[in-house]
Amino acid sequence: MNVEITDLTRRFGRNQAVDGVSLQAGPGVFGLLGPNGAGKTTLLRMMATVIPPTTGHLRLLGRDPGAYGPRREVRRRLGYLPQNLGYYPGFTVAEFVEYFALLKEMPAARVPAAVATAVERVDLGGRAKAKLRTLSGGMLRRVGIAQAIVNEPELLLLDEPTAGLDPEQRVNFRALLRDLGQRATVVVSTHLVEDVGAACSQVALMDQGKIVFDATPDELTARGTEQGTGDAPLERGYTAVLAAARS
Amino acid sequence: MDDDDLVARIASGDDAALRELFGRHASWLAVRLRAVLPAADVEDVLQETFLAAWRGAGGYRPQDACGGWLWGIARRQAALLLRRRKPAEQAGTALPADLADRDVPDPAETALARADLEVAIAALGPDGSPEREVWRLMYEQDRPVAEVAELLGVPPGTVKSRAHRVRRLLRAALRDGTAAEGGAR
Amino acid sequence: MTDTDPGIPEAPADVDLGRVWISVAAQVWRRQPGWLERTAGRLLRSPGLARALLTTPSLLLPWLLTSIAVLAAGAAATTDSGQPLVALLAPAVAAAAIAYAYGPGMDPAWELSCSMAISDRMVLLVRALAVFAVNAVLGLAASAVSASGAAAAVTFGWLIPMTAVCAFALAVATVARSANAGAAAGVAAWLITVLSGRVASGHFAAAVTDTFLFLPYLAIGAVCAAIALYATRIPRGTLR
Repeated sequence: MNVEITDLTRRFGRNQAVDGVSLQAGPGVFGLLGPNGAGKTTLLRMMATVIPPTTGHLRLLGRDPGAYGPRREVRRRLGYLPQNLGYYPGFTVAEFVEYFALLKEMPAARVPAAVATAVERVDLGGRAKAKLRTLSGGMLRRVGIAQAIVNEPELLLLDEPTAGLDPEQRVNFRALLRDLGQRATVVVSTHLVEDVGAACSQVALMDQGKIVFDATPDELTARGTEQGTGDAPLERGYTAVLAAARS
Repeated sequence: MDDDDLVARIASGDDAALRELFGRHASWLAVRLRAVLPAADVEDVLQETFLAAWRGAGGYRPQDACGGWLWGIARRQAALLLRRRKPAEQAGTALPADLADRDVPDPAETALARADLEVAIAALGPDGSPEREVWRLMYEQDRPVAEVAELLGVPPGTVKSRAHRVRRLLRAALRDGTAAEGGAR
Repeated sequence: MTDTDPGIPEAPADVDLGRVWISVAAQVWRRQPGWLERTAGRLLRSPGLARALLTTPSLLLPWLLTSIAVLAAGAAATTDSGQPLVALLAPAVAAAAIAYAYGPGMDPAWELSCSMAISDRMVLLVRALAVFAVNAVLGLAASAVSASGAAAAVTFGWLIPMTAVCAFALAVATVARSANAGAAAGVAAWLITVLSGRVASGHFAAAVTDTFLFLPYLAIGAVCAAIALYATRIPRGTLR
């Protein structure tokens, strides 16, 4: 198990953003669905060791990130794409990916090949030396994905990775996810339900800080057959589960 | 954009042009090299070839054919690689010390020259075509003109003119080095 | 790299052209660090920190903000007011400005930096050194050129000592592998610098015998630490 979470909570002042979440994830692609404000981003940030939990237990890659040493070890094996990632306009694509590869303490000798691999995997090989200020929003998102995968992480956390990508790019991205999920635990937080169905082996649905569903995409689809609105089977399951949780 | 433009852009530091050149030419170079070298060596030689192309693009003149230029670089890199390996390979062959490195041709060059020749012969036409038959009978089997004329059922004058064409085609193919390049570019 | 042209022959099945291109691209796209970066990397035992150090001025907006704040703090600190408080507070202002500008305030990739193996506080410490060192060099140039003593006063009374303090703090942080230890060492070094300056100019006696001034000194130390810690706090981000 790469991720073991038990009764995790996180509050900001009076706002209980994450309210008693427990889940486990091994290798594979794990989808995290839910409406805005459900706590997905906060949960992801705790898994990325950006913020500590208020209460509860968190074990990442077999280590407790509460202590400095293990946290550093986790971070070397981690890839994270935040929801709002800015960029340094004067950097080129390769420089940006290389900068974060170095900050992840990758051995310097391995960095050039790792950067080249990551840049090609997100289909930016033709723009490796282009300045970031010349790229479109979708391309910048792909640069963000490249920096997340450059160190071949064992735990990859992606928050709304497909924002700004056109449908063809999203297809390529899902193929990339499946490939990465062979060896690593990939957690994708998204509100695009179709992304989840196509690539994920496990899906969790969050609402108001709690997990209200944790099973396979097929089971989510099954929940939608009785009731629920939506154009696609997964969407119907999604709305059905949410309605049940709120009633 | 044609190959000459690509190489010009590479000379001015455009790495995307190098990527495009790789996409167009790496395949056929790999095929040709694979006839002479094992797969791992082909990968090494290709890597060195394109790095050398990146560094040396400034020396390219448009009247060289791009394919020929690249193949020339690949040949040199392959020869370098084989020469570096030579000491290990010669451990098995029992060459008297006074013969080694003198009259015996460099096995690397021999292998590459043979690869070049095979490709040039393929440029003469498909198997069984008039030019290939003349080549086979006159040059590979070393028969006189009269015998070839009788075997092919054509007058000796025709054999001679076909032989003339064969020599012309081979010369052109060996000089340009573009014989097996996939499609004219 | 997909070729759909039917004229191009397929590569042999056992030759991996993708891998070949990656090894070519790795050489073509790589950045060759200059001698300064390589030296910094060896001293800091970290090529990542060296890169952060040297890219500090290139992040323009944060650079402008921190330089202005640092120079303003320096101007205030070097005016002879007889009160050590201003001199002691100045680094706190500078630290807060640097931590904000290169941190949650203006660094577009701040949240990502908080998930990196090299801690964000180490990076800020390194950037503080860059800010002071470059401004000290500019200050030296300005002092050599200008007739008035203001540039020299700020350069020799503030920029150069603070550069030394930052370098010291960074050295302690590197050895102790803790940015907090380094920051504490830097604060201590500055306190000693100011107070010993007061001893030299004869004001120390007054400072010591006025016992009610001890509390402000302690408060200053606490405020320095609090501002730096607050500015590098866990980012709240947007709650969505």
